[in-house]
Amino acid sequence: MSGTKATRDTNKRSGRLEGYSLGAAYDEMFSPDGATRPDYQLLRERIRTLSREELADRQQTLERSFLLQGITFTVYGAESATERIIPTDLFPRIIAAPDWAKIESGLTQRLLALNLFLADIYGAQSILSDGVVPRDLVLGAPSYRRQMQHLFVPHSAYVNVCGSDLIRGEDGDFYVLEDNLRVPSGVSYMLANREASRRTFPGTFRQAGVRGVERYPDLLLATLKSMAGDRRGNPQVVVLTPGVHNSAYYEHAYLARLMGVPLVEGRDLAVHDNRVFMRTTDGVRPVDVIYRRVDDDFVDPLIFRRDSSLGVAGLFNAYRSGHVAICNAPGTGVADDKAVYAYVPAIIRYYLGEDTILPNVETFLCREPTQLDHVLANLDKFVVKAVGASGGYGMLVGPHASAEERAEFALALKADPENYIAQPTIQLSTAPCLVDGRMEPRHVDLRPFILSGEKVVVTPGALTRVALKRGSLVVNSSQGGGSKDTWVLADGDAQLAETTP
Amino acid sequence: MMLARVADSLYWIGRHLERAEHISRISTVMLNATLDRADLAAQAAQLALAALGDAEPERAVLPVDSARALVLDRENEGSVVTSLASARENARQVRDQITTEVWERLNLLYLRITDAKAKRAFNVDAPGFLHGVIADLHLVTGAADATMSHGEGWRFMQAGVHIERAKLIAHLLKVRFNQTPAPILDDHLALVCLLRMACALEPYLRVYTADVTARHILEFLLFNEDFPRSIRFSTARIEEHLNHLARGRGGQGAEPARLAGRLNARLAFAVVEDVEATGADVLLTTVDRECSAIDQALYDTFIAYPLESRLPA
Repeated sequence: MSGTKATRDTNKRSGRLEGYSLGAAYDEMFSPDGATRPDYQLLRERIRTLSREELADRQQTLERSFLLQGITFTVYGAESATERIIPTDLFPRIIAAPDWAKIESGLTQRLLALNLFLADIYGAQSILSDGVVPRDLVLGAPSYRRQMQHLFVPHSAYVNVCGSDLIRGEDGDFYVLEDNLRVPSGVSYMLANREASRRTFPGTFRQAGVRGVERYPDLLLATLKSMAGDRRGNPQVVVLTPGVHNSAYYEHAYLARLMGVPLVEGRDLAVHDNRVFMRTTDGVRPVDVIYRRVDDDFVDPLIFRRDSSLGVAGLFNAYRSGHVAICNAPGTGVADDKAVYAYVPAIIRYYLGEDTILPNVETFLCREPTQLDHVLANLDKFVVKAVGASGGYGMLVGPHASAEERAEFALALKADPENYIAQPTIQLSTAPCLVDGRMEPRHVDLRPFILSGEKVVVTPGALTRVALKRGSLVVNSSQGGGSKDTWVLADGDAQLAETTP
Repeated sequence: MMLARVADSLYWIGRHLERAEHISRISTVMLNATLDRADLAAQAAQLALAALGDAEPERAVLPVDSARALVLDRENEGSVVTSLASARENARQVRDQITTEVWERLNLLYLRITDAKAKRAFNVDAPGFLHGVIADLHLVTGAADATMSHGEGWRFMQAGVHIERAKLIAHLLKVRFNQTPAPILDDHLALVCLLRMACALEPYLRVYTADVTARHILEFLLFNEDFPRSIRFSTARIEEHLNHLARGRGGQGAEPARLAGRLNARLAFAVVEDVEATGADVLLTTVDRECSAIDQALYDTFIAYPLESRLPA
């Protein structure tokens, strides 16, 4: 009898692995033979000891705490607006120290080169004259801002906050899928997920030697302050938000609170004599650095979109005359354009004379007739993206699309090939997620955050975005994606260095 | 020094929270009165609705229906749920300025009252439901008191609380101390009802014993220095907070403080005999009007001032 019980127990314990089917994709936790990868051992042991009910309990506690903290985004329906939390998964994703070392140096290299590229594009344009990047590709892009030409930016740091999207391919290597150089968001989820996972697996967290992400707000503040140049000893920094109805509003308020700086809206600011002021209860006060979470188009109605009420009239001229710093600089979008992306390895070679540490995903530019033909002939194998779009909109995932969808997209592609790029469908790596009480593989990507002012700093952590639909490769929160915490492990020496002041 | 918009939001958080608590309490009294004889219950309901500014308190509606509308109707601008939603919306906009403790308490209360289960909970046990709402509101205000810096932002919030409170109590007293009060069925019961609506029954009894008279109630709710829901108490707080806000601003901010000082002096140096001689509604109307004037002055001075006047030359 006791034997039967033991068997049942073993079954029950390993039960959560049943149905965890390893597909073609690289799995973060299990190697192809089903063994747990070494860095996941501790976590795997811990999860084994938890019953289905305990896991469900912890998941519920986690979601409740997000709701209470107001970490929500607003969904606008026909009649009312409801607030939802972004689904957050219980299990952290773990990245080993050597993998991270490569990511860190790769991202630093990339951002250094992209900042130099922007300084060049908005300066002498030698990379265009030398024919490394096609002139019309850059100057014809809607994200190119003529107004930025010959404008001095301290430390040539055009991109102060960067959130690159990385994926791990079938071969287990990391690739850069996208550079987000405009107003990348998600860092508050990185911090909130950390708080949550630390409470969910406290013992495991302590034992694993996870590197901290808590310094992000003060590093961000230091980065922003370094952009004020030497105008004022203690520059006044503000966070500019489009307002409470923006889906990332929680993050804007969160960062302002943790940095201890005012969260302002366009209507709180006024420009007088090319200086920016904020309206306080004690009259107006000068502002030196604006960490804007408003898109380029809306920053200044006098220069960009006239119908914008989110920005500040006259802000751009104040910026031009050097009285205020805008972070990120307007016009950075030209360097994260999906067509320019294909040239990033060449850009790195051109400015730094180095090989690319973190490779790109193979990319076909539909503007080139031969490449277009290849894409059209193999539409069922490619992911095709509109160059100007983001957030998972305007794209075709060939293998998952119906014949009609592909035919329809082919027409759009032929009509305006310049507007599209294509990449082979990559099986994003999978990580275990808790779905209906079971552990199931879901595709994930990785968004680390890189700060750049006087120097470049990569925060040792990231937001792991999860495609919650089984088999789906789209991780964007606007398309039903979720997130999970990311544990970057310290190697022995680094861990020691970080704990000793 | 803080953003003008932030000060505005904090001020309104104070006003909405006070409003939510007042309406919850009045609804509770109205519901408890239904345990009495039907005609007396109707009298209590009329008193309550009149105090909240209902133009036709005689309308024949069941008290429990009136209470449900006052508490849970999102269409009703003055309901508890609308006030709480506004307070929370304002709090969301100044999330960086209030403490996590205040935010979480307020958010929790909001989530509870807007939950799908709230209606059922109200139908099953309305007084119990309201008791919970009031207790939760005390947790919000308590958290604000205990965790926020008692600096400028907190004072804007407190100014909001007390301006709203002074106006609400003035409205409440007007129902009974009008020149031509509506005919009252049972004056003693009506007076006790009035005390309950101001959360004043127990403190009143401790001062005047069980001798419940109109004059004493008027004296207590107008002039008592220590009871936190007397008008005098609120005007003293308004003056205190606005004086603090005016400090160190070189004349800016003097006007709201002056108006608040004048209003407080009216209450501080008046006696109930004079008030009775002229009719209480003269003073009550003055309180209401001058609170509105202070509100306006606050806006003109700290929040919506013309930009040109403050830019550097």
